[in-house]
Amino acid sequence: MGPAGSGKSTYCQTIMQHCEAAKRRVHLVNLDPAAERFEYPPSVDIRELITLEDVMDELGYGPNGGLIYCFEFLMENLDWLEDQLGDYEDDYLILDCPGQIELYTHIPIMRQVAHLLQQWNFQVVGVYCLESQFVEDTSKYFAGVMSATSAMGMLEIPHINVMTKMDLVSKELRDKMERYFDPDPLLLADDANKSTDNRFHELNQAIATLIDEFSMVRFLPLNIRDEDSVAYILSHADNAIQWGEDQEPKEPDDDVEEADRSD
Amino acid sequence: MSAAQTDTEKAAGTSDGGSTEEAVNIIMIGMAGSGKTTLMQRINAYLHERKTAPYIVNLDPAVSKVPFQANIDIRDTVDYKQVMTEYNLGPNGGILTSLNLFTTKLDQVMDIVDKRAGDHKYFLYDTPGQIEIFTWSASGAIISNTLAATRPTVVVYVVDTPRTASPATFMSNMMYACSILYKTQLPFVLAFNKTDVVSHEFALRWMEDFEQFQQALMRQEEERFMNSLIHSMSLVLDEFYNNLRVVGVSAMTGQGMDEFFKKIQEAVTEYHDEFKPTLQRQIEQKQAAEREQKAEQLKQLMQDLSVTEGKEVDL
Repeated sequence: MGPAGSGKSTYCQTIMQHCEAAKRRVHLVNLDPAAERFEYPPSVDIRELITLEDVMDELGYGPNGGLIYCFEFLMENLDWLEDQLGDYEDDYLILDCPGQIELYTHIPIMRQVAHLLQQWNFQVVGVYCLESQFVEDTSKYFAGVMSATSAMGMLEIPHINVMTKMDLVSKELRDKMERYFDPDPLLLADDANKSTDNRFHELNQAIATLIDEFSMVRFLPLNIRDEDSVAYILSHADNAIQWGEDQEPKEPDDDVEEADRSD
Repeated sequence: MSAAQTDTEKAAGTSDGGSTEEAVNIIMIGMAGSGKTTLMQRINAYLHERKTAPYIVNLDPAVSKVPFQANIDIRDTVDYKQVMTEYNLGPNGGILTSLNLFTTKLDQVMDIVDKRAGDHKYFLYDTPGQIEIFTWSASGAIISNTLAATRPTVVVYVVDTPRTASPATFMSNMMYACSILYKTQLPFVLAFNKTDVVSHEFALRWMEDFEQFQQALMRQEEERFMNSLIHSMSLVLDEFYNNLRVVGVSAMTGQGMDEFFKKIQEAVTEYHDEFKPTLQRQIEQKQAAEREQKAEQLKQLMQDLSVTEGKEVDL
């Protein structure tokens, strides 16, 4: 999940590639009715049920109304989805979702999808992608944290936030961004205070506290050209799922392993 | 209305503009379906009635028809459908690219707008229907930064009140508004639209009494692991509310418009008191850094010259 252009689909393709190399079974589920083309064809594709183009052509909706209609249609045809996913019960699925924030806030569609997946015995983790190029300073970083939490906070599933396109960031900026990946709340608040005016100071403090208390709202860097970076993200996602599992009393599962920080 | 005018005249007196009434940029931002464009039309009608017609800029390339006459329309510069075919893009990509193309001509647009700055008090900007195309794009940032540097600029975040009536949706929406506040750092007016359908009283209550909001939220959520996150999130929101002004409006009936403009004026004052000094400070910092760099380069040059002074230099 994440805004348009944040690198969601690229992330999916990268994970597919990585898992294939590691001989790990993973299937791509495309939930974006406006998606264009895929390097790895999806095993389940909402476009087989309905496409944005059709909706816009036949019903005369604009891109927004059309997208919402597609999802409402999906909600009415959940048995189709259940059917499609039935073949992959024990596998790792990646769901590529549309960007529009309206689907995560106003309309409880994504939330319903997440719940249903859990009802169908899937352990679910959300991955929120945000482009590194927008995070030039701490106030922009805070904007990213708020935006991610806005989308993910109410989905009621464990989630990780990924800062994509780190390969496109200059070394100088990358060093500066280190403090976002391993945040010290005091430093962050201080930093934010420097780049914003006085009225923001209390708010900066509140957000820094939020980041400190909940690792879920922190961002993990992703450089798709670096195998270790991809593996790092994947292990975090796995841990988050594990953690989700721990909430269920019936799973007497393995120890949760700490992911190694790769540099 | 005359009281407001004297205030603006006073404000104009303290700014370095020469005009009698200081112009204001208003950027309308909101999620799809919140009623931005309808509200723009209501504002337009209201201002016309009061003989202060606004200057309208439409930045939504994909809208089929707008209810108002835009002075500058992105659709005149960019053909969204053609962009999609030419660059082989989907609808989102098409809107984003259209906005990008428009932004390359932004300085020309600003020239035109600046020439009219004396004739109008309010400059209204309607943004693309899909909020992220404006809020999380380079063009969106360039446009809002450029506008903010020219004259007092206020962000109006339009909320779909009926749709935001559940605590969970309210929280998500407010958090998203908070992220926009951080991105633009401009004075913020939260306009709860469609109050003719559902009053925004619940929102005011939740914003004033943080415990009431938490209770409403907890009743919905039974997952324990989410509750502490929700608690911390609501603490953040509590601070957020201190940084904005709220008004309930109905684009359909026109209720709340007087109040709306009062809040805009308050936001303009905030612009002068807070934003402008910060902007000045940032500009000065940047200039100081540039001067330092030039001084360094000059020093280096002098050193090089003194080394070769008087000697034969082999070429």
